[in-house]
Amino acid sequence: MNLAKTFSKGIINENPLFRLMLGMCPALAITTSVENGIGMGMAFTAVLLASNVVVSLLRRIIPESIRIPCFIVVIASFVTITEMVMHAYAPALFESLGIFIPLIVVNCIILGRAEAFASKNGLVPSVMDALGMGLGYTLALVTVSAVREVLGAGTFLGIPIIGLIDNPALVMILPPGGFIALGCILALLNKMQQKKAQSN
Amino acid sequence: MRDVLKLGAFLLIVAGIAGLGLGYVNSLTAPVILAQEEENKISGFQEVYSQAEEIKDESAKYLPDGADGIVREVNVAYQKGTPAGVIYMVEPKGYGGEIQMLVAFDIATKEITAIKVLSNKETPGLGAKCGEEFFSERFQNKSAEGVLELVKQEPVGDNQVMAITAATITSKAVVEGVNTAREHFVSNFL
Repeated sequence: MNLAKTFSKGIINENPLFRLMLGMCPALAITTSVENGIGMGMAFTAVLLASNVVVSLLRRIIPESIRIPCFIVVIASFVTITEMVMHAYAPALFESLGIFIPLIVVNCIILGRAEAFASKNGLVPSVMDALGMGLGYTLALVTVSAVREVLGAGTFLGIPIIGLIDNPALVMILPPGGFIALGCILALLNKMQQKKAQSN
Repeated sequence: MRDVLKLGAFLLIVAGIAGLGLGYVNSLTAPVILAQEEENKISGFQEVYSQAEEIKDESAKYLPDGADGIVREVNVAYQKGTPAGVIYMVEPKGYGGEIQMLVAFDIATKEITAIKVLSNKETPGLGAKCGEEFFSERFQNKSAEGVLELVKQEPVGDNQVMAITAATITSKAVVEGVNTAREHFVSNFL
């Protein structure tokens, strides 16, 4: 597989959220504003990149039978570092992402990429894989949060939208709105996929 | 058996390296985090009680058995060496968790100078509005001597505060926080 393909597969064909259905919990919980979506996506990408690099470099040293605990230690360390750095330099974002930063540890995409890709591939493909997957996840989060913020709060990135700001559909930024938005987006993507398959 | 020891030793080394790395990052970020929290608190103090020349944390003196109920801190604001105002930090329980907020009183006028919500975990779009100015303004210059009452229409009495629409539990919590601070203020400083 060439590098460009390794990078782009995470964005569309194997998009973690929309195609692999991984990392749903934070995606439902933090997508109440676009700013949160971007922040979570960036924190996630940073952790995934660091863990993919380390796992890829250590793939020949780590004994087969204890690879999972080793991956978890690596991932947990990077998440904690991200958390501390964010707390120190981006306190507002840290406050709004709350519990979901430590929960990146158990985000199945990161362990999934370590197990399925980084532990079997060299450094450069692993970096491309992490960047592609990170970008794909970030785009997916931003898509969901854009729908929810615009409909539920009447703003986009905090900027009021005329006509929507006065009477927003509050349910969209409450937990049920997360399921509704994600479900509708998935349905739309599936429909598009079907159309594409038929025309081929 | 040897295999188990070898694997155990490997994990120990991995965890040890991770621990060292974390310790190093923590030593870099911990002072920044601490300084920032302190700064947040001080700018909050400035916002709720701007005339203070000096603010001292006197929680130990006024809160005998540590954290007494929801009152967390009692800060006395001094002017020319005498206490002029009191800034309370209270944490009433809202809908999604504790609401951390400051309530400031002026001793001379016996009025609330201002309140400020520092952090909350309330529902975005509903209760989270308690941090916005339009709500905190409703408490400004209320007398400290009467119990504040939450109402759902435009207030008619001086001791009434209008709730945030569709966020009654949050509004109640904020009023409870202010009332608790108020009781402490009346019995200790007036």
